[in-house]
Amino acid sequence: MRIQKKTTSNPEISTASMPDIVFLLLFFFMVTATIKPKEEHLDIKEPQAKAITKVKKKFLVKELNVGFPKNRKLGDSPRISAAGKMVNLQDIGQWVQEQKADLGEAYKDQMIVLIRADEGVDMGIIGDLQLELRKHNARKVLFRTLEKS
Amino acid sequence: MIKIKRPKVEPKVSAGSMADIAFLLLIFFLVATTLVQEKGIMMQLPPDVPPTETPIKDRNLFKILINSNNQFLVEGELRNNLKGLEKEVKAFVMNPNNNPTLSEKPSEAIISIKAQRGTKYSYFIETLDAIKEAYYQLYGERVGLSSSEFRKLDRENPGENQLYLTAREGLPMNISIAEPDKINP
Repeated sequence: MRIQKKTTSNPEISTASMPDIVFLLLFFFMVTATIKPKEEHLDIKEPQAKAITKVKKKFLVKELNVGFPKNRKLGDSPRISAAGKMVNLQDIGQWVQEQKADLGEAYKDQMIVLIRADEGVDMGIIGDLQLELRKHNARKVLFRTLEKS
Repeated sequence: MIKIKRPKVEPKVSAGSMADIAFLLLIFFLVATTLVQEKGIMMQLPPDVPPTETPIKDRNLFKILINSNNQFLVEGELRNNLKGLEKEVKAFVMNPNNNPTLSEKPSEAIISIKAQRGTKYSYFIETLDAIKEAYYQLYGERVGLSSSEFRKLDRENPGENQLYLTAREGLPMNISIAEPDKINP
């Protein structure tokens, strides 16, 4: 009996569409991710929590950082910073006004202040900050926490 | 003059390295960007007006104090951790057996957290988290969802918004955060 030899064809996957796929991924990441100024001055490790909610309208969120300065020259007590700049407690009012102006008339009352604080700071500064925010009518506050696994 | 016809060479750019370039860009963006995570515990602060004196019955108030040694005083009882607080808050708010020491009505119940200036932030968040979780569990139970499913309800979807409203009706989340006290010796 004669066994018929099959014609061999080398199986190859076309890689021509590879760039397209990669570009698609690239665009996805470019659109979803926003480059954020990294906090340089403060050391922050957020606490963990379970009852977390997510904010949908991300543009409403304005961030304040509270943590211990990395640079020892700035002292050992916790400090507040916004967008990479140190903010004193008495300047919070001005910061709130600036952020509200940035959001525009339609959304300024819905502003959410994200407090990204280190788990080791004491409640004194957090309380003072809350009081200051209440004074300037920025009363929606989101305590940034990591998800507890 | 005689034009010499040269053989036409079609100019081709090799597309083989395109994938490499794209990968490089992709990796750059992956590394350089952090996905913005706006997740956390949401709180609505009270307006800054002088507080009006509203008499609140003691039985409707669930008091949690945290001192600067990070010890908890829950309803007058000293504790070192918050084990079981969720259950207590749920029992306090709902009061299914009409216990005279627990809240009169779920809508009347108020949970009060008070910290001292020296309290560590993480203990405050832990307390707030336990209370919120207790409320979300109650909301979830009312509409047959788990607490995390309840939190994921999309209020722009009419059906889910209805569920949200049903769950929250007559059961407001009354959490009071008092301003931290000065440290007393």
